[in-house]
Amino acid sequence: MLKTTLRSGVASLALLVAAPAVMAQDLMLGLRAGPDSIDPHWSTLGSQAEALRHVFDTLIDVDDKLQMMPGLAVSWEAIDDTTWEFKMREGVKFHDGSDFDAEDVKFSIERIPEVTGPMPMTLYTKYVESVEVVDPLTLRVTTKGMAPSLPNDFTRLFVVPSETGMEARNEEFNSGEKAIGTGPYTFVSWQPKGDLVLKRNDEYWGGAPAWENVTRREIADDAARVAALKSGQVDLINYVPATDYLSMQNDNSLETFVSDSIYILNIAPSVKDEEPQPIKVNGVEVEGNPLQDLRVRKALDLAINREILVKVVLEGLGKPANQLMPEGFFGYSNELPVREYDIEQAKALLTEAGYPDGFEIDFTCTNNRVPGDAVVCEALAQMWSRLGLKVNAQALNGTVYFPAAAREEYTMTMSAWGTLTGEAAYTYGALAHTKDAEKGFGNFNRSGYSNPEFDKVFFEGSQTLDSEARKKLYEEASFIAMEDRALIPTVILQTVWAAKADTLDMTPRVDQETRAYAITPE
Amino acid sequence: MFGYLVGRLSQAVVVVFAMSVIVFVGVYAIGNPIDVMIDPGATAEIRENLIRQYGLDQPLWRQYFTFVGNVFQGDLGQSMVYNISVTSLVFSRLPATLELVLVSVTIAAVVGIPAGLYAGYRPNSIGAKLIMALSVLGFSVPTFWIGMLLIMAFAVELGWLPSGGRGEVAEFLWFKTSLATSNGWSHVIMPAINLSLFKMGLLIRLTRAGMVEAMGAEYVRFARAQGLPDRQIVFSHILRNISIPVITVFGLELGSTLAFAVVTETVFNWPGVGKLIIDSILQLDRPVMVSYLVMVVILFVLINLIVDLIYARLDPRVRLKGGS
Repeated sequence: MLKTTLRSGVASLALLVAAPAVMAQDLMLGLRAGPDSIDPHWSTLGSQAEALRHVFDTLIDVDDKLQMMPGLAVSWEAIDDTTWEFKMREGVKFHDGSDFDAEDVKFSIERIPEVTGPMPMTLYTKYVESVEVVDPLTLRVTTKGMAPSLPNDFTRLFVVPSETGMEARNEEFNSGEKAIGTGPYTFVSWQPKGDLVLKRNDEYWGGAPAWENVTRREIADDAARVAALKSGQVDLINYVPATDYLSMQNDNSLETFVSDSIYILNIAPSVKDEEPQPIKVNGVEVEGNPLQDLRVRKALDLAINREILVKVVLEGLGKPANQLMPEGFFGYSNELPVREYDIEQAKALLTEAGYPDGFEIDFTCTNNRVPGDAVVCEALAQMWSRLGLKVNAQALNGTVYFPAAAREEYTMTMSAWGTLTGEAAYTYGALAHTKDAEKGFGNFNRSGYSNPEFDKVFFEGSQTLDSEARKKLYEEASFIAMEDRALIPTVILQTVWAAKADTLDMTPRVDQETRAYAITPE
Repeated sequence: MFGYLVGRLSQAVVVVFAMSVIVFVGVYAIGNPIDVMIDPGATAEIRENLIRQYGLDQPLWRQYFTFVGNVFQGDLGQSMVYNISVTSLVFSRLPATLELVLVSVTIAAVVGIPAGLYAGYRPNSIGAKLIMALSVLGFSVPTFWIGMLLIMAFAVELGWLPSGGRGEVAEFLWFKTSLATSNGWSHVIMPAINLSLFKMGLLIRLTRAGMVEAMGAEYVRFARAQGLPDRQIVFSHILRNISIPVITVFGLELGSTLAFAVVTETVFNWPGVGKLIIDSILQLDRPVMVSYLVMVVILFVLINLIVDLIYARLDPRVRLKGGS
């Protein structure tokens, strides 16, 4: 038996020519990361939402610039200060044929706290006080206090049938038994870190997608993913590394798609009275914290040459950033100037602040979080050394970096932040607001930054239901925090997808999601 | 013999225990897994609740004894990332690693030992010098680099083999294995060769060294004087005499390949346990790390035990005594 297997193996080896040709109806995706579970209420992980979106729909969807658009809900409005009303889409059916209605949404909201894991989805239901089904197509959500961003939170609210039952856990979803959604694809099978196999839902309310069979294969290694595309094993890959992107430019057989991402690399200087790692001049610890001086933070900012970071360090796959969110996001300030590189002015500011010969400072970054974080980190250290600083740059694995950063052990850090929700409350509330556990703001404010003026404007925004007025207030808050150099934005990262030339067409998304149903054959 | 087995097994228990303490303390020192996993937007309240829910607010010793208590009840715990039991997670990926390792050590032994014998038998021939030069390459060139070269050559340029992943699986005896299909073989052969190179180099050098030494030994000269044919001398006398170091190294390599084939698994996107453990370390998925490493320790102890038993079989001078 084994012998014949061996023989047939060798024979097939000799005869084997490339991977079997893929039919036009089939789409094979090679992706850096996949889901951790098929339960859509298990985790907030981006790759999880991206994958499960094929099987389950969210109450509200987002377009390729992360701005809200109707999903299972066709409209939503605040009917008073603490109540949101959602109108459901009519005639939507689950994969098992049952009807979708407001009861399913209520069940899904209530299921989240019961089943969610260490990356908890309660994040998206934290404002929910109670849920009321008015009629099968109308749902009212009462919020804890005023919650203007509730619809944003519900862009990640996946809906499962109310028949699922509170007992169902990951196993039942992973096996497919409970993997019943309203999405454009039905679930076929999944292996952790392996393939997610999907089949077209011909009854999809948004119109049946182009590909009949879709496989989302996880290939975590960048080089292996590129090789899989080049050898024809997969049709499309995401997160093409910068070096391969350059060589693909000269390769006619491949086509690339580039998009801005939501990720911006930010520097966070600690402005506490005593900095966690000492800042020194001539080996002696300085009195007080130099970073508390706005002139010093401005000097650090002016010494960054963002053009060089983009063109040289990131091989062109980035854009200079002047605030924490990409253009077009809710609360993006148009008033903020482009950040100029001016080493002379930077030196002058530093001298004015009392450090004509610079100082010695520790600078800690992530090295595996997003493409380019480690190289940008080193480049920044070099740029600041021109200013006369001695920068001890250290790029660490996220496993080490995040817990230590949470303990606020670093004086100056750089890491990527992505505005996942497409609006300012998420980013500025977590990073720039004074730390306030009660209000739930400033959770990721590790620098000790606190500006009452910013807090006031931001809080006013968070209590304004009128979206135009709120937008104005958030724009103002962005402006204050950025002019204050609460954080120093450096570059917006860009993402690249690649496919065999002339085989398919896609619109790259700012949230980096690869949605099979938004890809069309050419 | 019985005393020996008991001694070895009780050693294993001590090693497993020590190992689990080290991993626990190590992970504890790195920090809180929740801080690695949690979404940036989570409130402090959500974070506190989670830490409590996973028992991470308990003192280290209590967390440890809860874990040990569960293990004694046969429960290695749930993965924090996947929320499925660690046992089923590891066993869902173990067959892939087993078949990769099996093919690769077979290649290493089938090619490496005869090549080493030849190189030791005719140490001055051109063939022997070529073999020795290649064996140096085998363990000095990084695995991932050779892996990438293989992929570029056979998958991208020539298109003969797939660039990665595991092929179709089929039932073979009681197992579902990709070694039962030709498509599966086309997937396994390249990573297996890649994984075998280091071991092959090692086996060649070990066998050759033993061979050269044995060729000058008294018993070989005596056998020659008796007029025995070279074939018989090499295969019945020398091979048996030099096999003890070869088997020791082979056993250790087998264990470490099983546990840590991670580089090859990554380059070839092979869905084995090596990748699982690395991902678990990156996400601080402590239940998976601890349980997996405990399994690895048990595996090593077992392999060493088998190697010792083989010694005794091969060399009548080796006596297995309790606890030694």
